[in-house]
Formats: sequence, C-alpha cells, structure tokens
Amino acid sequence: MNAELGLLAILVLPVAQAALVLACARPPGLRDAAYILSACAIAGVAFFVFNETAHGAQARVVLARPLPNVDLAFALEPLGAMVALLIGGLGLLHAIHSAGFVRATHEKSPARLMAFMALTSACALAVAFSANLFTMFVAMQALTLAAFPLVEHRGDEAAGAAGRLFLAVLLASSIGLFLPAMVWTYAIAGVLDFRPGGVLGGLADPVSANLLLVMFVFGIAAAAVPPMHRWLMASREAPSPALTSMYALTVLPAGCIGVFKVAAFVFGASGLADARLATQALIVLAGASMCVAALVALSKQDVHERLAYTCLAQALAAVLGALLTIPAGLFASALQITALMCSAATLLMASGTIAAVTGRTQAGAYAGLGRVMPWTLAGFALASASMVGMPPFAGAWAKLWLIASSSSVGLVWAAVLVGLAAILTFAHLGPMAANALSGRAPPDAFIRPDGASFLLVAPVALGAVATLSLLVFASALSEFLKPVWTPMP
Amino acid sequence: MIGEVLETARAHAPLLLVTTPLLAAAFVLLAPISRLNWAIGVAAMAWSAWLVLDATARLLLAGASAGAGASPLALEGIGHAGAAVLACAGLAVMVAAGANLRDFGSRERPLALALGLCVCSGWQGAMVAQDLLGVFLACETAWLASVGLAALGGERGALNGAMRMISAGAASAAMFLLGAALLMRGTGVVRMSELPLAQIEAPISSAVGVALIIVSLAAKAGLAPFHAWLPAVAGRTSAFAALTLACVGVVGALAVMARFAAYAIPAPALGESVTNVLTALGVAGVAIGSLQAIGAANVRRLAVYAGAAQGGCVLLALGLGSPAGFAASLLQLGALAAAGIAVLGGVAASGCKLNLDGLDGLGRRAPVSGAAMLVGALSLMGAPLTLGFLGRWRAIEAAVGVDLWWSAGAIIAASLAAAIYAGRLIERLYFRRSATPTPIQHDPWRISIFPVLICGALVLALGVEPSMLLRVAQAASHQIAGDAP
Repeated sequence: MNAELGLLAILVLPVAQAALVLACARPPGLRDAAYILSACAIAGVAFFVFNETAHGAQARVVLARPLPNVDLAFALEPLGAMVALLIGGLGLLHAIHSAGFVRATHEKSPARLMAFMALTSACALAVAFSANLFTMFVAMQALTLAAFPLVEHRGDEAAGAAGRLFLAVLLASSIGLFLPAMVWTYAIAGVLDFRPGGVLGGLADPVSANLLLVMFVFGIAAAAVPPMHRWLMASREAPSPALTSMYALTVLPAGCIGVFKVAAFVFGASGLADARLATQALIVLAGASMCVAALVALSKQDVHERLAYTCLAQALAAVLGALLTIPAGLFASALQITALMCSAATLLMASGTIAAVTGRTQAGAYAGLGRVMPWTLAGFALASASMVGMPPFAGAWAKLWLIASSSSVGLVWAAVLVGLAAILTFAHLGPMAANALSGRAPPDAFIRPDGASFLLVAPVALGAVATLSLLVFASALSEFLKPVWTPMP
Repeated sequence: MIGEVLETARAHAPLLLVTTPLLAAAFVLLAPISRLNWAIGVAAMAWSAWLVLDATARLLLAGASAGAGASPLALEGIGHAGAAVLACAGLAVMVAAGANLRDFGSRERPLALALGLCVCSGWQGAMVAQDLLGVFLACETAWLASVGLAALGGERGALNGAMRMISAGAASAAMFLLGAALLMRGTGVVRMSELPLAQIEAPISSAVGVALIIVSLAAKAGLAPFHAWLPAVAGRTSAFAALTLACVGVVGALAVMARFAAYAIPAPALGESVTNVLTALGVAGVAIGSLQAIGAANVRRLAVYAGAAQGGCVLLALGLGSPAGFAASLLQLGALAAAGIAVLGGVAASGCKLNLDGLDGLGRRAPVSGAAMLVGALSLMGAPLTLGFLGRWRAIEAAVGVDLWWSAGAIIAASLAAAIYAGRLIERLYFRRSATPTPIQHDPWRISIFPVLICGALVLALGVEPSMLLRVAQAASHQIAGDAP
C-alpha cells in the first residue's frame, strides 16, 4: 500500500464501517464485532499514514473539480496525519466502549448510532486531510449533517429541539460566514489551496484581512468560539457515546483543526499580521471565554454539562494558540488539540461508564465511586489532571507552550488568561475527582448486578494512558509538524 | 436518408421546437388510447430536447456563430441555454405524466396532456421568437394553456386558482403590450436583437416600457410580490398541473426574462433601468419567497415559494449585468428546474399527503422518492456538490466581481433561509415517524419515478463535475455580450 492508497483508505474506511454496521445490525455480537474490527482496521491504516508522512511521503487525492481551479481534494500532510492517528487510536477505544455502553444501557437503535458515529469520524478525517478551503467547507457541512442524527438520536421533543438548534448554528454560520469568506478569499487570491505560509499574505488590504479572519473564525462554528458555542450545549441531549464522538473525536476537534488550518495555511504569519486588529480581538475573546467557560462549568452539577464547558474551554485554548501567528503558537495549538482529544475522550468515556452502571449523572453523586470502580475513576482523575494542565500529562505541555508562546509575542495577559483558565478547570474537576477517589464507598452503587464490563472499563484506562503520550512524544511531534509552519520556498 | 432528415431538422430547429409539441397536442386529442397519448407526448418532448441539446452542443461548444438573420425564430445565446433547460424539464414532466395524469378522469386526460404540451411549446416559442410580439404571443399561448391545465378537474380550489391566474395573466398581458409599445416607440425597433444598437429617442418611455415588460414576466413567473396566483394553484391543483406550472411555467418565464434582459442591458440608456428593476424584483422575491416558504405548511406551496425565492436569486444574478451574472443565472435556472422536479415529482410519485406532516418518515416508506426529494432539498439549500451550490457560488462570485456586496449578501441570505425550509423537509423525511402511517400509492407505471431520479442524479452529477455545464453557461452569456456594442 502506498501513501495515496493509504490516504484514500483512511477516508473511505469509516464510511465502510458505517455501512458494515448497518448491514450487520443483528445479532448484536456480529454488529459489535464488525464495529470494533473495522475500528481496528482504521487505527492500523491511520498508523500507516502517520508513518508514511513521517518518512516524507506526499500524496494528493482529487475526487472532483466542481469549480474552476478548485478541486475536491485531500492531501497528506503532518497535521492531518497527527489527527488521523488520534482519531484512529482513540476511535478504537471509543468503539470498544460504545459496544459496551449500548449493551449495558440497551440503547435504542445502536447500529444507527454507531453508523453515524463512524460517518462523523469520516467527515472529521476529511476536514483534517482537506487540501483546500472548499474541501474543508464540504467536509464541515457533511460533518454537521452526519452529527445531527446523533443529537436527535433519542427522538423525543427535547432531542428534536436540540437537533434543530445544532443544525441551525452550524449550518447558518457555515453558509452565512464561511461561504462568503471563502468566495472573498477566492476573489482576492484566485486560489483556495492550503499552503504553509498562507495564500493571503500581502494580497488582502487590512480591512479585508480583518473581516475575513472574523468571518472564518465565526464561520467555523464547530470550533465553538462564542457566541457560536450554543451547538455544544444543545448536543448534550445526545447519548454518551455520541457525546464522546462529538466533543472528543470529531466535531469540536474538527472545528479547532479548521481554525488552525485557516490561520496557518490561508493567512500565515503575514496574513495574520495584516489582520492584526481582528487577531487581537479574537485572542481576547477566546482567552476570556475560556475562563468564563471554566467558571460556568463550576456551577453545573450535571456531569455532561460540566464536561461540555470543560471541553469548550480547552477548544478555545487551541484556537488561541493558532491565532498567535508564530510557529510556537501553532505547535501549542496542535498540542492542545492532542490533549483535548485524549483527555476529553477519557473523561467522557468514564462518565459514560459511570452513568451506564450506576445511573449517576450528577457531580455530587460521584463521591466514593472510586472505591467500587477504581479503574474507571482512576482514568477519570488522570484525564482531569490532563485537562487542568498538571505535569506530566498531555495538557501540561500544551499549556506550557501556550503560556510561553503568548509571552514571547508580548501578550502576557493572554498567558495569564491561560493560567487562570487552568486554575478554574482545576476548581471544577479536581474536587470532583478527589471526592470520587477518597470518599466513602456508596452502598448499592451499581444498578447493574454485574457492575461494569471489561468493554466499559478498559478503554477508559487505556485512554488515561494516552494522556501521558506527549510526555514521550512532544519533541518528536515538534519535528514531525515542522512543515506545517515552514513556508514553502 | 436519416442523415438528410436530421440535417433538415437541425436547420429548422427553432421552428420544430414550437411546432412539435403543438402537433403532438393535436395528435393526443385525437388518439383514443391514453398510453399512446403519453408515448406521443414523451416522444415529442424527447425530440424537442434532442434538437435543442444538439443545437446547443454544435453552436455553443463548437463556437459557431448563431446569427438570427431575418428569421422570426432563431436560437441564440441565452435562448439556447434557456430552451435546453425548458425542453429537458418538459421531457421530465411528460415522462412523469404517465402516473400523474391519474388525477384526471379518462375524458380529461388527453386534454390535460395536450395543454401540458401547449405550455411547453409556448415557453419554447418565447425562447426562439425574435421580436417582442412573437415573444408576447408565445407567452400568452403558454399562459392560457397553463390556466386551462390548472382549472382542469373542476374542483373549486383549482378553479379558484385558475381564476386568479386569469386575473394576473390579463394584467400581465396588458403590461407587456403597453411596455412593448412604449419600447418600440422609444427605440423604433421590434426585434430584440436590434435593441443593443438602437438609437433611443425617448429614453424615459423606453425605460418604462422595459420595466413593464419585466414586471409582466415576473407576474407570469410567480415572483413575489406578483405571485398571488401561485400558492392557490400549487396547493389545490393536480400533480401534473403543479409540476408543469412550477417546473416549465415558472422556469420558462424566468428564462424569457433572462433573454430579454440580455438584449436590453447592453442598450444605451436602458441598461441601468433594467438592472434596477431586476435587482428590486430579485430582492423582493428572495425576501418574500423565503419568508413564505419558511411558514408554509403544504409541501407544494413550500416548493413554489422556494421557487419564488430561487427565482429572486436568478434575477439578482441577472441584475449584475455582467456575463458572469448571466452565466450564474442560467446555472440557477437549471438548478431550480431540477430541484423542482425532484421535490414536486417525488411528492407526486410517492402519493403522500400534501401537508408537511404527510412527509413524516417518507424517506423510509418511499426510499426512492425520498432520496430524490432529499437531493432536491439539498440543492435548494445550496449544499456543496449540488447544482444549487454551483449556481449560488457563481452568482456570489459574479456579485463580488462587480463589487455588489449587498447583492452577494442577499443571495447568501436566500441560502440561509433555504437551509431552514429545506432542512425542515429533510428532517420530516428522515428524522420523524408518521403519527398515522398512510399507505404509499405505488405508481401505476414505474417509469414515472425515472425523471425524478434522473433529476436527482443530475443535480449531484453536475454539481460534482460541472465543466460542460459551465462552458455552456459561459458561452451562452458571452455570446450575448459579444453581440452587444
């Protein structure tokens, strides 16, 4: 298999996974086996693609040319390969956990749920590997449409309203802001291709550059920069595995990747310098919103709601890094995306396991659960530590680079905001994890007589191990991602 | 022998475009077997479509000149592209008629088919007529046939719609005649192709004349705010009539507007008036059509209001006055016709109730019709990789090209509104279950689902690989620009 075939395979396999799961919907054993085995295949191909990229392989797949000079195309590049590895690896853990969850909770239409989660993975991978703005726009639209059934999965009135809000925010911002920004970019630069160093640098006048940056950042509503974050809260109505998929693997990370790509490949350092005013304003907005989100999370008792705000704060940190206009900022953003995906996946899977076997969904009800579910709550605690930014977990390196890069461009206040958000994150996750581990074991903790199955516990524990990954790989990742911020000659 | 016949046919393609459907209508009225009638109608429209597509391929893609000479009927530029869209839409409507004519009694079926053919003939005639009176006669033929088709069946609601059509049509005809008279008096020319070179002696009366003609055609296209007849007809008339009026009638009137505008805009002292009127109508069409589509509770009304909003986008693109704007408007016309057939044809083929709740779960109960309607709705929304997206993109690009940002904003606003009403359609099709499941009426002839499916497939295929379509649209619009002084 060469790199081009690998790229095609990583994009097609999740779609095939969705089709396979629907085809093997019954019996449940066959369905789960199909889902997990195809997730294994995706993880394998993702590793292959990552390895090929690390060895300097280049590939470009053009599917169509729907507009003059604009292809529907995907390209192999380091950022995409990194995200593919994360989606592939964490996706395998998530597939195992989802199989355990739907069995434990007797979730309705499990095959449909799994199929749409696979489709959202395909769309997130398409965003990651998109070779130009048009392809990213198409992939974002497809991601929205694929994630919508996950939000509406429960089928009741609340889920319907949440689904409509989800669709309205993501589609309206995409059509109303992203599309015109894309046309405008095309009118200015004549191309929509992603190029290290950007395509707009020196071509757009300051007013256009500022407006374009604002339109792109708010147009990519999946990144949840306020006030476009309402979809994130609406999607709480989704079942737990779908939430893990949307917050940790697909929609929210895809939004961060989208903003990253726009900052690095459309604007570049010189383009962002032209849009100085908008850049500064957006950094203020992202930094302040990060703190507010972490503060709001403190007031939420529902664990899913609290984790939604936690994920929002972490995603905004990634956006902040991408807007810093320097390589260190982009690296910090890439680290933050990695940390977000690993930590959020672990936290959400852990909360899903707890809800499935104990029925507990309130933060106060977690006290003492560590005594009866040690592996799950240990995973929860480690992932919380990573979210907070405690060394040696993934979040620590990301925060460190964010603070260092903010300071190096003279934005000391941005560094302070990152630190403040970390403290507030500790305030809403730390005591919860500590109570869960140190409190007295609750009587009759389990609503299921057999407790948590291996399928529900193992992915959480392995996810927690993944949060340690950057301790080993941060330096190598820096080398790997260097082409992202090195302008082409 | 066959080659000679084809060459003769090619030489007289404009005449055959008008006469073939008319002759077929006469045969249909005489033939006693309904399946034979249907076959005659389909054959006539297939022949028309072949003629115009062949002519389009030869003249536009081969780059040959399409001089009209002194002939009263000729195919040129915008007329080519518009006639191609109309002939293809007419063919799709005729094929679907195999099932849709079941709404009529056995005595009414031949008449309905004949009237449908007259509608196609009329609008195709308006695309090839060279002088304003020819255009008027062709439009009125199509309009009166449309009124007859809407009234057929004799139900009170349908008759009410037909009465509204007569009132609107009479006002529209009067405006057209008055406008044509003022234009002739001001410019001294009758043939539209002479307008760009005309010595305009009375610019004000000429401008008023042009405006009256455009408003008259807007009323026939059912564009807001002259669309009072459209919902009454769409909601209550037969499936065949609704499909014919929405996909041939509305598209035909818009195509005639595009053709007229292409001649009038390059004319000295007229261009600004034309673009102003088109833009004002476009904005009104987008705003009112979108709002009404969002509030519609009947799927056919939703489709025609959506058509009115999309028609507004067509006029906004025309109002840019540039070749790029004209090319975009032609693409949007094609997208409108295809999406209309996919949505309205899908509703007709599935036989579901016309209230929006009749669509609940239709995607599962009638998967083929549901899929076609999904694609149609996505195209209306302007989703990427559909024909609708291509039209929107080109229109926005053209607006940005001439620095008319607010025009681009209006087109984007139309897309946003479309996301709401088309999103509602999709949600009902696939994300709701019917509270009271109604049995789906299966088509008596399965072939009737083909045009709906083909339109859905075309919307996707041309959205993914549009190079041929873009060449046609570009060639059509540049031919007009090239003829201009």
